[in-house]
Amino acid sequence: MVIRFLRASARYLALSLILLVMVFPLVWMMRVSLLQSGASIALSDIFNHQFTFDNYLDLFRTTSIGIALFNSALVGLVVTLGNIFFCFMVAYTLARYEYIVNKLLFVIVIAILMIPAHIVIIPMYLLMVKTGLYDGFGALILPWLVNPIGIFLVKQYIETIPPSMEEAARIDGAGEMRIIFRIIMPLCKPALAVLAIQVFFTNWNSFLFPFILTQSEQIRTLPVALAVYQGHQAVDWQHLMAGSTIAVIPVLVIFIIMQRQIVSGITSGGIKQ
Amino acid sequence: MKWSKAGAFTLALPWLITFAVFWLFPIVYSFVIGFTDQQLLAKDYDWIGLDNYRALFTDPAFISSLESTFVFVFGTIPVTTIIALGMALLINRQFRLRGLFRAGYFLPSITSIIVIALIFTNLYQRGGYIAYLASLVGLDVPEHGFLLSSDTSLYSIMAMDVWMAVGYYMLIFLAGLKSIPDELYEVAELSGAGKIRQFFSITLPLLRPVALFIIVINSIKSFQVFAEIFVMTKGKFETSTMVYFIYETGLTTKFEFGYASAAAYVLFIIIAVFAAIQFTLFRKRQAVW
Repeated sequence: MVIRFLRASARYLALSLILLVMVFPLVWMMRVSLLQSGASIALSDIFNHQFTFDNYLDLFRTTSIGIALFNSALVGLVVTLGNIFFCFMVAYTLARYEYIVNKLLFVIVIAILMIPAHIVIIPMYLLMVKTGLYDGFGALILPWLVNPIGIFLVKQYIETIPPSMEEAARIDGAGEMRIIFRIIMPLCKPALAVLAIQVFFTNWNSFLFPFILTQSEQIRTLPVALAVYQGHQAVDWQHLMAGSTIAVIPVLVIFIIMQRQIVSGITSGGIKQ
Repeated sequence: MKWSKAGAFTLALPWLITFAVFWLFPIVYSFVIGFTDQQLLAKDYDWIGLDNYRALFTDPAFISSLESTFVFVFGTIPVTTIIALGMALLINRQFRLRGLFRAGYFLPSITSIIVIALIFTNLYQRGGYIAYLASLVGLDVPEHGFLLSSDTSLYSIMAMDVWMAVGYYMLIFLAGLKSIPDELYEVAELSGAGKIRQFFSITLPLLRPVALFIIVINSIKSFQVFAEIFVMTKGKFETSTMVYFIYETGLTTKFEFGYASAAAYVLFIIIAVFAAIQFTLFRKRQAVW
C-alpha cells in the first residue's frame, strides 16, 4: 500500500512539474499583459502589482490590432469553410470512383504532402505580385482553400461509409449532387469537424506566407501585426503581451470546447500513416 | 452511369485548379528561375546555368545558414522525440485529472509560434525569469541575455522549439501506445519479463512506425524553421537558417529571386534525401526484427 501510494505521489509530482513548465510561459504572458505600462515585470515583484486592462484598451485605441483581429477571423473562417467543401468534394471522388484520373490525383496528393511549402516563397511572392493578388485577401485565402492532408483525412472517413447508402438513395430517385451533399456530407460531420479545427488553428497561427504576401495594415493578420509591432516599437512588454493574449484567447476557447475532437484528429492522422 | 465519370472529375476540379496555379506552377517556376540571375530591379535577366548553385556553396552566409539548420534539426529531433515518448509513458494510464495534464502539455502546440517567440524573447532576456532561474542554478547568463550572444542564441531557440513541440508528439505516441494489445504485456508478465525488459522488447519495437512518422514530420518542419528566428534574432548571432536565408536574399533589399530560388531547391533536395534515408533505415530495421 505504502509503496503504491509513494509511486502515485511521485507520478503526480513529475506530472505537475511538467505541467508547470508547459503552462507557466503562457500564464506569464497573461500576467505581464495585465500589469501597468512601465511597471516592473520581474519575477521577484510577483506579488506587488495591481492589475489593469488598460493595455488592451490602449491597443485597440492606438494600433490597428482591431483590424488585424478582424482580418484573422475573416481569413480563418473563409479558408475553413473552403476546406470543408473542397476537401470533401475531392475526397468523395477519390473514395468512390476508380478511374485513372483519380489514381493520378492520389499520387499528386501524396507527392504534395512531401513537398515543403516554405520552399515556394519566392515564386509564390512573384505570382501574387504579377497577378495583382499581392497585399489582398486573395493572397491570404486562395492558395489555402484545399489541403492534401484534409483530403486524406476525409477520404479515409468516407471509405468507412457503406456504398449501399448511396445505392439506396439512388433507387429512391435522388440525384447525384443531392446524394453527395445531402446524405454523405452530413454523415462525414466528425471528420469534417476535425478538419475544420485543424485548418482554423493552422491558419490562425500561420505567419510566413501572410507576412511575405501582405504589406498594408488593412490586410495584416494578427501574427503579422504582432511581429511588426515588436519590430517597430521600443520593446513594451505589457502591450506586446496584451496583443499576444488576444491572439491566444480564441484558440484557447475553441480548444477547451472541442478538446476531444482535436485530440482524436491528431491521433488518427498519426496512426494512419 | 454516365454522370459519374464527368461528375467525379468536376468535384475534383476546384482543387486541381488551385493546386496547379498556386502550387505546381510555383514549384516548377522556382526551379527554372534558379538558373537565372533574376532580380527585382533589373529588367532583363540571363540564363546563367548552375552559377547560382556554385555561388551558394562559396557564400559564407549560406554555409552558415546550412550549419545552423543542421544543428537545429539534429539537436531538436532526438530530444523532442525522447521527451515526448517519456511524457506519453508517464501519462498512459488511467488516473485522476489525466485530461487536464494532457491538455496542459498540448497547449503550447496550438499557440501561435509568433506569440511563443515573443514570450520567450522576454524570458530569455537578462532579468527574464529563465535567465533568473539559470543564474539561481549557477549558470552563466550572457551579458545581454541568452538571445543576444552567438554562444547561446541558437540553442535557446532550439530549447523553446522542443518545449513547443513535445505535447503534440506526445499525443501521437499515446495513440501508438494505445494500439499495442494488452495481451502482449500479459504474456510477458507470465514469462517473467520485468518492466524494463517489456519496454525494450515490446513497447519500443511496436512504436517504431509511430516514431518514424514523428521523426519524418518533425524533420520536415524543423528544416523550415523561420518565424522564431525572424522574431527572436532577425538571423543574427549565427541563427540564420536556410528559410531565413531564402527570405533575406530573396525578399529584402536586393530581391535576388534567382539566387534565393536556387537556395530553396538546395533545401528541397536536402529534405527529400533526408526523408528517403529515414524511410529506408526504418524499413530495414523493421525487417530484421
